[in-house]
Amino acid sequence: MLRNRTLWLIWIALTLIIAGVAFTRLYLGGPRLTFMPGETAGVHHQIELACETCHTSSPFASQKKVRKDINKTCTTCHKEELKASNDSHPIKKFKNPRMASYWERIDARFCTSCHSEHQPEITLAGLLTLPQDYCVACHSEGDQDVRVNRPSHADLGFETCASSGCHNYHDNRAIYEDFLVKHAGQPWLKDAAQHPAATVARNRARPSEDEVQAYLASVRAPEDKRDDVIDGHWAASAHAAADVTCASCHAPDAETPDAVEAAWVDAPGEAICADCHRAEAKTFALGRHGMRSHPKIAKPRDAKKMLRALGLKKPPEALISAIEAYVDDPSPAPRMSTAEARVPLLPDAHGQDLTCNTCHKPHEQDLNFAAVGACLSCHADDHSQSYTDSPHHDLWQAELAGDLPPGSAVTCATCHMPQTERDGIVTTNHNQNDTLRPNEKMIRPVCMECHSLEFAIDALADPDLVARNFSGQPDRHIDSIDWAVSRVSQPDEGANQ
Amino acid sequence: MGAKFGKIKAAVLGGAMAMGAAPSAMADGMDYETVTDLLHLVMSSDRTVYTRMIVNRLAVQEKVITASEHFEDDKALVLPAQMFRFGAEMVAEETDEFTYSLLSLWPINKQNAPTTDMEKEGLEYIAANPGENFYGEEELGGTTYFTAVYPDIAVAEACYACHNDHKDSPKTDFQAGDVMGGVVIRIPMDG
Repeated sequence: MLRNRTLWLIWIALTLIIAGVAFTRLYLGGPRLTFMPGETAGVHHQIELACETCHTSSPFASQKKVRKDINKTCTTCHKEELKASNDSHPIKKFKNPRMASYWERIDARFCTSCHSEHQPEITLAGLLTLPQDYCVACHSEGDQDVRVNRPSHADLGFETCASSGCHNYHDNRAIYEDFLVKHAGQPWLKDAAQHPAATVARNRARPSEDEVQAYLASVRAPEDKRDDVIDGHWAASAHAAADVTCASCHAPDAETPDAVEAAWVDAPGEAICADCHRAEAKTFALGRHGMRSHPKIAKPRDAKKMLRALGLKKPPEALISAIEAYVDDPSPAPRMSTAEARVPLLPDAHGQDLTCNTCHKPHEQDLNFAAVGACLSCHADDHSQSYTDSPHHDLWQAELAGDLPPGSAVTCATCHMPQTERDGIVTTNHNQNDTLRPNEKMIRPVCMECHSLEFAIDALADPDLVARNFSGQPDRHIDSIDWAVSRVSQPDEGANQ
Repeated sequence: MGAKFGKIKAAVLGGAMAMGAAPSAMADGMDYETVTDLLHLVMSSDRTVYTRMIVNRLAVQEKVITASEHFEDDKALVLPAQMFRFGAEMVAEETDEFTYSLLSLWPINKQNAPTTDMEKEGLEYIAANPGENFYGEEELGGTTYFTAVYPDIAVAEACYACHNDHKDSPKTDFQAGDVMGGVVIRIPMDG
């Protein structure tokens, strides 16, 4: 009897210990996907193993605290974008207690009221986890009743507000009423259709043959590292003209030839690029290609800190090293790779990492590859693969051939990495997703450089035309400009929202 | 109007905003009404300065620049009502100790129409009783607030000219000195 009981106790204790060890290993070092309540949406899969990036609240924190903390983690990455969007429904607008009656409908003080992660079954585009007709919650009664304020909207369903190309919840920069009126009635294509920032960039003087020879003569590098092809590429690049020498990247802190040879690094990392190209590095970390290098992604967990959090003020070093030896923190790899991508990619693209060098060769300045070639060597979706048959592609070829002035080309980068110019300095946005989703974000920085607002709205509302990379004309017309103009010319048609 | 003493909170607020208020009032703790009166004094003074010395002078009298709701796109001055709202929103991001907003029974932007019964009552009271303020208590979202409503007066031509001309304005016969709306200030009383 006694022996039986002892055996039972040992069995229970062993079970608990083994389960605890297995749990610890899974939680700390194993495939943490086991604990994920549901798939993450969109690109969050890139950082989903770093749970603490979003989940910063302490265990057992109140629901209210958790919601507030999640607001903060959303804005860690999405703040700039919301600020730039001139957000129509900013959280601060709903914090005033006078909005309390709205909190019961949709509590717009919290991101998670509309964007709830780990809910793949109900997630719509833009990580929306409310039904598409969510506007009905607030804009269907009282002073906010859109059908009273806008007779033209009387027969429209609420599921069409944000899906038709007319309204967005956050970003209405290109589709607010006064903007529609201001840009009404323009021809679909401008006569001189050029992107001004690209014109500045492409009009820059190229180095003369003499200058290239002078740069070549100035090359200083250890003999065994010299390469005629590399020297030639470098001498023709903007790096040479800007006095960025071999040592600037391969041995940045060395001053004498001996020190350069001693400190030489064959393949300098991205940090070297980012030293000078700060705006590019910053925006790269906000897009899908580079988001894993965002500085706020949770670092691998620290065993010492975790033990302290558990109440062990001075955890023995032996325990720390034992834990560190036992568990291997599976934080996401520091770079996105094509193997993990969830968008259609070409078979040849598999197995590539995404670094600066993926699109930019280290020595040769080949912006045509960076602007088109690199994109099309991976992306296999219809829109990308239709580019070479598109009118935009024809413009690019015409500019390359010298038949059109600089800035006329429309490459992948023209639309997805729009350039801005300030005081003669052109900056390229390296967040390739900044002008997507909702795609009306592209209208002002990109489309309207060449097209009318009306054409841009219609074209972006036609998904087949987008898939054909804009070969042809839109198959629909969005009434928003017409309605806005008619309301302004007949002010009795209802009051402003 | 039944203002209770919220001594500690009111004293902190009063200390921050009082600008030379009597030390004895701080020592005893200020009542809600005094606190909102002082807050309103700062708000309405800044608002009047911006309206008269910036917008009315540059946009109406000297006509060197316009004021526009879309001030970035139009390279224009921020409208006085926006100036006030941006300040209120910045305060809301910093503290929950008090909130304020500029509302009207005749708003151009319908978001600025009253949303609570007390807002409506207060705005009607100050419109009907020029020179008087309105004080009350209301429960919103499970919290009781001390709510004060102060008249917002047309202090310059820029105010009434713009409201009278705007296509979305429900009232187009404002004159100088009219009560055009009200500033609503709230302080949570419990907690």
